[in-house]
Amino acid sequence: MRKSTQKFLSLGLSLALVFSLTACGSKDEPKADPTPAPTQGATDNNGGDATATPEAPVSEVEKPSVITVMIDGTVFTEPNGRAQFETALEAELGLDVQFTQPDHSGYYDAVGLTFAGSNWPDVVILGGSYYTNYASAGLLADITEYWDNSELKASGRITNVDAMEAIKVDGKLYGFTPARGNGCVTYVKKAWLDKAGLSVPTNYDEYLNMLKVFTESDMNDSGDPSNTYGVSAAGLVGTEAPYINYLPEFYQDAYPDFTQDESGKWIDGFSTDAMKAALQRLKDAYSAGYIDKETITNGTKDCRTKFFDDKFGVFTYWAGTWAFNLKNNLESNGKDGELVVLPPIAEMGSYVERQAPAWCITAKAENPEGIFKYFLEPMLDGGAVQTLWTYGVKGVHWDDKAETIKLTEDKELTFTEGQFHFLPSLEKPDTLLTKHHLDPMLSFATYVDNADPGISSVNPVAKDSSEKFNEWAVPAKMVVSNDTINEYNADLWDLRTQIITKVVTGDMSVEDGMNEYTSQSADMVQEILDSLNN
Amino acid sequence: MSIKRGQKVPGSKKPLGLRIYNHRWFYVMFAPVLVFITLFNYLPMFFIRYAFYDYKMAQEPVFVGLKHFEKLLKKQDFIRAFVNTFELSIVKLLLNTFMAVIISLLLNEIKNLKAKKAVQTLIYLPHFMSWVVTASVFRLILSPTNEGLVNSFLVNLGVINKDQMIYFLAEEKWWRPVYYIVNIWKDTGWGTIIYLATLSGISPELYEAAQIDGANRWNQMRFITLPSLANTIITVLILNLAKIMNLFESVFVMYNSAVYAVSDVIQTYVYRQTFGGGIPNYGYTTAVGLMSSIVGCVLVLICNYASKKVRGRGIV
Repeated sequence: MRKSTQKFLSLGLSLALVFSLTACGSKDEPKADPTPAPTQGATDNNGGDATATPEAPVSEVEKPSVITVMIDGTVFTEPNGRAQFETALEAELGLDVQFTQPDHSGYYDAVGLTFAGSNWPDVVILGGSYYTNYASAGLLADITEYWDNSELKASGRITNVDAMEAIKVDGKLYGFTPARGNGCVTYVKKAWLDKAGLSVPTNYDEYLNMLKVFTESDMNDSGDPSNTYGVSAAGLVGTEAPYINYLPEFYQDAYPDFTQDESGKWIDGFSTDAMKAALQRLKDAYSAGYIDKETITNGTKDCRTKFFDDKFGVFTYWAGTWAFNLKNNLESNGKDGELVVLPPIAEMGSYVERQAPAWCITAKAENPEGIFKYFLEPMLDGGAVQTLWTYGVKGVHWDDKAETIKLTEDKELTFTEGQFHFLPSLEKPDTLLTKHHLDPMLSFATYVDNADPGISSVNPVAKDSSEKFNEWAVPAKMVVSNDTINEYNADLWDLRTQIITKVVTGDMSVEDGMNEYTSQSADMVQEILDSLNN
Repeated sequence: MSIKRGQKVPGSKKPLGLRIYNHRWFYVMFAPVLVFITLFNYLPMFFIRYAFYDYKMAQEPVFVGLKHFEKLLKKQDFIRAFVNTFELSIVKLLLNTFMAVIISLLLNEIKNLKAKKAVQTLIYLPHFMSWVVTASVFRLILSPTNEGLVNSFLVNLGVINKDQMIYFLAEEKWWRPVYYIVNIWKDTGWGTIIYLATLSGISPELYEAAQIDGANRWNQMRFITLPSLANTIITVLILNLAKIMNLFESVFVMYNSAVYAVSDVIQTYVYRQTFGGGIPNYGYTTAVGLMSSIVGCVLVLICNYASKKVRGRGIV
């Protein structure tokens, strides 16, 4: 090999090493000279324009200069203008916000790995069972006092103070929930109901009959009555609390995890008669073909695609914005998009609202009070910062100027001056954005002087679905956690999902399934119950 | 100048520093590899010690000795995953190797260079598809509905009725055959590269001599081609044996709770134990990982020993 070639190759390889190792490091350096602190309850609603910030309030709480934040995909992602959002937010808050945003589907894997190391973020979003588990394990800062003494709580704009009470763990608050948790409602295709000559089902028998008709009739006018079914879901049981929300009509009052009975005693919900009855209902419906055969291997996207392709007529999915998305996509596929939001059937009584994802300050954060005051509290400031979290950045994610937006060759939208409207997604320019992290219909705080710039733009279909859900839903049971549960949780859920799958697909009877569950889990369950009840 | 056995090579008395300086550019070229291997292969080995600790987030590790090993050996799920790992890996390895050799031999027989290149390109392509995409494609093909290509085919042939469609990915008796077929489809083409390289290195004179001696094509393959490939096959098998405990992605994207009994492997078991809810005990999952590493290492040593006995030399 010639010497010059050797030199060239070795330098190239060394540079490659240096660059690849650089990628392992932190990408952002703290910015110097942060702007002054914002006031609580900003008075303008300019949507995050990086304009002058009002004078800072006199406060004894030290303001952090840099805050590291771990977020999931509910915040605008990099291709959808997160950098612009970050810049606008930093300008409003007057501090350097450093986001880490793992892929949404692998978010909790990334959170787990991060907490296993030493480089924790200051703030992290945690939903349902993760919030309880992390709080119980002492990984999160207690923010009870900060919340109780906050200007936000005293502002009179909080519409649901109880929601913060509901996420207390052993009487202490470890997270800030700026919005309701939302949940799933059951949507039924109205065209299918009309074609079948059925009215909206009010109890399980009527619900099952509806599924039967949808399965056995040629509902999609294909000429083949065998290519439709009643309902589909992504899995027979959820992987996260409240577990039963994708097939609630079958589960009804069953809850497959540890729960308290009427006397307050902890029991294993999976071993109850209610769970046996639920398994029998699922098994019967599955064997009759009313439930999508591929439910075991479906992802949520598979279900949505099948729904849009008119493969099934009943879909339990998120309330609110998704109601509009489902309608819109059905119509884009040339189908009738009208959906009936099914009131909870008599046996259910209500839908379940999941525990709201919480913004948590980690136990290693140096200045939790400052982070709460200058990062979390402004999220619901009723002005510019709340607008950023709800709608994004003006001119990037939304606007109110007169313009015509061309989404596709044959789809144009015209807006008048002053009319709030979302802009096309930067990632998918043929689709309009619908919301940012905070859903305006679920937010816990009103705007100052009710000056929400975008509330008029909320789609009536989404609004209707959301209002109905809010009326019909009850909060999900708080997930319980302690060291004993953590020790056995993975094993127990492995066993439970296997039993549910085998029973429903006909590999074993309900009785055999329950016997197998008891024989394999008795020791673990007893130890957990002892730890909870004693 | 000729060098006799035992004679010292001129220049070997040079000081080490000078020799390094003379070959400095090779050392610079080697540096990235050394740094990467040290950072990502050797340094992590220090954390194997956590297999003997209770190690949970934000808590100081507590030494527990062999507790995790005792626990995992009592766990039915671990034993099942362990057995599955062996069965799936070994059958996959044998099938893939067998198919790769067969296809290499067939490719070697193609005399039209353009046709050969076209076939090679076609069979290499699946290797570059991610496992996620591969699983999605096969899920569609194997769907137990009218849209599923295989089930529709079977229905049209009258092999099964419309109401008896097979849920290939969720039935225990079908999952493994499907898994092996998908693996063969994806990796066999890539596996042929090394065998084709070996085949191209066989001296044509051997074939010419065999032809003169009256050997037909079958006998040429039997007595020249296959013996020439034998060393490569054994080497590839032994090298791949070291990796048999590392089965993860291909299983993870294709398995589900209905088929854990036949599909759950060590790595998927560790994944669920770590991310399956609750606060994971990294001590336990490290113990599971260490156990599988030890088994992998022992396997390689056994094969190497067997290779020495059979061939007179090992490869490690």
